Amino acid sequence: MMTKLFWGLAVLYGLGIFLSPVNRKGINIFLSPGNQSDVLRQVSNNGIIAVGMTLVILTGGIDLSVGSMMALGCMLCAMLLTLQGWTTASASSIPILALVCLLLCAYLVPLIAINLRRGSRPVEKPSPGVRLFGLILGLVVAGMSVWWTTSQLQSKFTVPGVLITVPAVGLAAGALNGLIISKGRMQPFIVTLAMMVAILGAARLLGGETAAIYPVYTGSNATEKFDILRALVLQVVPVPGIFFLVAVLIFGFVLKFTTFGRYIYAIGGNEQAARLAGIHVDQVKISVYAVSGMLASLAGVLYTAQYRQGKPDAGSGAELDAIAAVVIGGTNLMGGKGSMIGTLVGVLIFGFLSNILLLKNINSNTQFVLKGAIILAAVLLQEGQLGLWWKRLRSSVYPSAYPGRSKEQVSEKVTR
Amino acid sequence: MKRRAFIKTTIAAAAASTAFKPFYIRAEAKKYVFGFSQVTVVEPWRVQFNKDMQKEAAKHPELELIIADGQDKTEKQVADVENLIQQGVDVLIISPKESAGLTGVTLKAIDAKIPVIVLDRNVNTDKYTQFIGGDNVAIGRAAGEYAVKLLGGPGNAKGNIVELWGGMGTQPAHDRHDGFAEFTGKESGIKSLLQPIDTDWKQPKGYEVMSTALKSFDKIDLVYGHNDPVAYGAFLACKDAGREKEIKFLGIDALPNEGVTWVCKGELTATFLYATPGAEGVRQGLKIVKGEKVDKKIILPTMAIDKSNCEQILKDNGLA
Repeated sequence: MMTKLFWGLAVLYGLGIFLSPVNRKGINIFLSPGNQSDVLRQVSNNGIIAVGMTLVILTGGIDLSVGSMMALGCMLCAMLLTLQGWTTASASSIPILALVCLLLCAYLVPLIAINLRRGSRPVEKPSPGVRLFGLILGLVVAGMSVWWTTSQLQSKFTVPGVLITVPAVGLAAGALNGLIISKGRMQPFIVTLAMMVAILGAARLLGGETAAIYPVYTGSNATEKFDILRALVLQVVPVPGIFFLVAVLIFGFVLKFTTFGRYIYAIGGNEQAARLAGIHVDQVKISVYAVSGMLASLAGVLYTAQYRQGKPDAGSGAELDAIAAVVIGGTNLMGGKGSMIGTLVGVLIFGFLSNILLLKNINSNTQFVLKGAIILAAVLLQEGQLGLWWKRLRSSVYPSAYPGRSKEQVSEKVTR
Repeated sequence: MKRRAFIKTTIAAAAASTAFKPFYIRAEAKKYVFGFSQVTVVEPWRVQFNKDMQKEAAKHPELELIIADGQDKTEKQVADVENLIQQGVDVLIISPKESAGLTGVTLKAIDAKIPVIVLDRNVNTDKYTQFIGGDNVAIGRAAGEYAVKLLGGPGNAKGNIVELWGGMGTQPAHDRHDGFAEFTGKESGIKSLLQPIDTDWKQPKGYEVMSTALKSFDKIDLVYGHNDPVAYGAFLACKDAGREKEIKFLGIDALPNEGVTWVCKGELTATFLYATPGAEGVRQGLKIVKGEKVDKKIILPTMAIDKSNCEQILKDNGLA
């Protein structure tokens, strides 16, 4: 499975080298460091969203609200960076940040305490003392976060300020997704569809009617340090790309090596069985949607840095790109099967494909058709269906190729 | 089995690449390569824009013009420009979707020592080589002056006007309004009937707004649409209500197959040219690669198109 994926990427990469035009200095444009760096940067926003989407899809869910989360993150980030004092953006995000801090501490501290004890099981309950400690710690951290962010209101928000505040808002909105889905026993599709519309509305409301776009010009209306989010490390590695790769590493590790990761697969494989096995299905679900929302709004921050503006239509269509990348990466839309490295490959396939089509200066309408066709082909290849169809075709044309079996038997085997 | 699958894919890939071969070898005879990043290609004005450009480029055999379609997305347009920079074009021509979003990548091209011509909408820097665009305030003024003349001349103009706004969130709509109001606002006899309503530059929305206005107001003398499709939508609404004879319609843009055609049919009274900077962009680009000095800023003039000159324009564009 995995090898097939890598072959796909390798073939595409080879095609890129082979087809790429050569510039006047005789350099293969596709291979030039500048181009490779551009591709990594161009895919990183989609990639970050796809990381969260992978977790959600592995549980058998789907998150359609990520595009709007990104738009919300983008608007919040731009407004916090460029406006002073209490605005719609700061007034809504600071309380949410405090709430997130409080709940995270109150929830995480008892969880960590349980897992520190030797031989403990997930079904054990933490002691009241530990719970109280978590609650108090949560209150303290929440208070500190409010103090820290309000102290930035006088000037404007700093880079760490937006990097923490904005994802916290996304985390809260994502957790709300998960809460409604798990506690309300609702279909993820319809819940996140509703949230997609609602959050897009919220992003537009933030901006108000007069100003749809907030330009962010570092050095003149925002802090100059914000430039770091679009810088190139060592002249070639774009910072958004680093965010993407780190997200892949962290959540790839979580999926592969932690109990939480195993729970995600278990829920996607068979939710009822997972519930009966004592897994806190609701908690896991809320967590994955929260992570998805957090990563999507983080992508919004990077969007603001990259395109120097906050605008509510920033993430339009982002959910579909992310889902496509995840599925190309071999993750099953029904949940339970897939991997983070697959998503990385899927995102790269998507990015290199667009890049090759661009370098070839292929008519943009043709590009759409080709992209659609290639996505279909990639998915068919991965699901192994193309091979099966081929076998079936052969067996019907040359029944002798499968001696001792009737045509029906062959197709029965194929469809099973 | 895996190896066989790989061999199969490789063969398929090789076959695919031979199919692409004709694109692969760039015509080496072309001396100059211009890269043009367009916002979108599904809007009539942009289509005309590209046509003008290709028509001008075809006159110069030494020139190869690459047009990239930004698909109306900032991300896509930035990627397009980055790609053109990587290809090492001689001149980058860009018509940005919006100022803030495309400033960064424009600077990147300038850093790569590529001359940059910015068309239609500006970017937030002045390090580009040249800007070419229309002046929407001037066009609004021309329309306002024309409207005052239609309604009785300066000083004694009288009538009720319906102004159909384009996209309220866009600068051109505000410019077209301001220029128009400079003339109509001075006439005490002219009354504007509607509050600004967003039509998003679209014909169906122009139709809807106008049909509501027709129900509310018995006497309407002139409709000013911020572009031709909106004015035409208003015309259709009046026609359906049987009142198109008593009302005059003014539009803006004057695309040959839209506004000019409608004027020739007698449906719109006049339209005002918002010239596409496409052809001029190519001409100026050639000047730049040949080392000539060019102006930092070129503002394209407008003109009124009514019954008197519409036939000629259709002929020039091969439509009549």
